[in-house]
Amino acid sequence: MKLWLLIASFGMLSSASFNSYAELNGQNIALNCFNCHNPKPAANSAIPSLTGYSQQRLQQALLDFKYDKTNATLMPRIAKAYSDAEISAVAAYLSQQ
Amino acid sequence: MARLSRRDFLKTGAISSFTLLNGCQPLFGKAASKAHVVVVGGGFGGATAAKYIRYFDPTIRVTLIEPKAKYITCPASNWLFAGLTTLDQLSVNYQGLKNYGIEVVCDTVIQINAEQRRLTLSSQQTLNYDRLVLSPGIDFRWDSLHGFNQALSQRFPHAWQAGPQTELLNQQLQAMPNNGTVLICAPPDPYRCPPGPYERASMMAYWLKQHKPWAKIIILDPKRSFSKQALFEAGWKQHYGYGSENSLIEWISLADNQLVSLDAERKTLTTEFGDRFSGDVLNIIPPQTAGKIAIESGLSNSSGWCPIQPISAESSLLPFIHVIGDAGHYAPIPKSAFAANSEAKACALAIVSLLNQQAISSPAWMNTCYSLITPDHGISVANGYQVNADNSITAIKSAGGISQKTDPASLALEAIYTQSAYLNLRTDCFD
Ligand SMILES: Cc1cc2nc3c(=O)[nH]c(=O)nc-3n(C[C@H](O)[C@H](O)[C@H](O)COP(=O)(O)OP(=O)(O)OC[C@H]3O[C@@H](n4cnc5c(N)ncnc54)[C@H](O)[C@@H]3O)c2cc1C
Ligand code: HEC
Repeated sequence: MKLWLLIASFGMLSSASFNSYAELNGQNIALNCFNCHNPKPAANSAIPSLTGYSQQRLQQALLDFKYDKTNATLMPRIAKAYSDAEISAVAAYLSQQ
Repeated sequence: MARLSRRDFLKTGAISSFTLLNGCQPLFGKAASKAHVVVVGGGFGGATAAKYIRYFDPTIRVTLIEPKAKYITCPASNWLFAGLTTLDQLSVNYQGLKNYGIEVVCDTVIQINAEQRRLTLSSQQTLNYDRLVLSPGIDFRWDSLHGFNQALSQRFPHAWQAGPQTELLNQQLQAMPNNGTVLICAPPDPYRCPPGPYERASMMAYWLKQHKPWAKIIILDPKRSFSKQALFEAGWKQHYGYGSENSLIEWISLADNQLVSLDAERKTLTTEFGDRFSGDVLNIIPPQTAGKIAIESGLSNSSGWCPIQPISAESSLLPFIHVIGDAGHYAPIPKSAFAANSEAKACALAIVSLLNQQAISSPAWMNTCYSLITPDHGISVANGYQVNADNSITAIKSAGGISQKTDPASLALEAIYTQSAYLNLRTDCFD
């Protein structure tokens, strides 16, 4: 449950609570990764499944995409949407799948 | 806590939820909720929602209602015009979802009674729900062009719902004269798949270049600009002579001089100021609204789309009904299969939270749309989206945008990723 941070009620939503929450919303972000990185990838899929990747490996790959340290077509545009803390939370969630 | 991991869920999909429960605790505590969620529409949105509700909480009973025994995907359907795929290869069935313990009912919902939380099917069978997920896709406005109507879509196919319409348009393309003209009437915003008309022109041009190089495609656009325009135009220039006299593709913005009428006999379209366009094949893609059942049930507003509360996907107009996919008003998130999947997952999480009396976490949507210009030239647009404190949805500014690398090697890689992303998205929704 550690990534499952909850908003107490609709009424309590303030921009502050949203910002702090978005920081650590690992699961909600990571669910989108399965669209392309499916645990059951198509035969010859050029986009790998992330099953078995460690948290460290995922986090480093995402940070490298975000800060343009790797040559890539799409992932830099995706990784730039998230703070380093969110990237860490995404990596933590995915490494446990 | 001992929760079902995604790997276990995928492995044990064929086992009933009862067995799953014995082995693992569901995500949301011990109280078996036994709630019933009905999902209407087995397209990208509905299929994903049904699957992921069961993934997050296998104690929830999920029924999916869809009239078609097999679903033909619109994504990749433009590739058919280039001879790269067939309707058969675009088809999926519902066995994958049944394996997760989802009850799939092959029928159409004809009425939603929101007060009693009850649905009526065309068989007259009724079904009660605790929460309803509606993902009925789109319907068309048939009255936007004088002289055009629904019946005429059998002669001037939209092919904006994949299936017989796609086949019909392809037959017309192949049968037209060697120096024939295709008119693609693009729809006004907002519509399903913003880059779709332009990918279609590309795929048709790829085939024409090999088989009818003297033919021409003219895109008549009610808009001033279009999705990934710079990337499309660069690709058309490179492959199809765009901008030259012999270009296979011509794009004409009619933003200040809209099409007003069709002369079906002469296959001629006329604009406000009397300009005429004639073609051999007319691909008329009408303006769009949310699917009929959403409109008839009072879930849409004057825009023709269904307003929702972004945090839960619950309708702003009727309680206990969640609208996802093309039918929902999620702007600025585009209407795509990828977005429908993303909205469905956020909605599934919200519903599971609500049914377990937990608060809802903030959604984090994503969209990516790949398009092919040739089989070896792919382009993309990507973005992340967030909900703000004022309940608006915005794109995350630091990210996203269109393909940055446009050297041939990168474009060829993107073409390969286009195909992998399509197949993996399909698996994520239906298997
Ligand atoms: C040519 C083309 C190319 C495209 N390419 C891409 C692409 O490459 N990538 C991408 O992400 N998106 C693409 N799209 C967009 C994508 O097809 C849609 O955004 C997506 O299908 C939306 O999913 P949905 O669940 O909202 O609707 P749909 O997928 O249309 O599903 C709706 C389902 O609801 C069912 N239904 C409707 N009414 C009822 C009722 N009363 N009772 C029961 N069932 C009902 C229908 O039978 C249908 O199966 C493309 C679209 C087109 C037209
Ligand atoms: C639309 C498809 C798509 C989505 C969605 C997507 N990826 Fe990727 N991913 C790719 C592609 C394509 C590559 C290859 C690198 C490139 O060119 O961008 C890649 C590469 C990667 C790699 C490197 C894999 C390796 O072994 O080299 C990682 C890690 C990764 N993605 C993680 C993620 C995470 C985490 C998410 C969700 C936040 C995600 N991806 C979402 C398409 C996608």
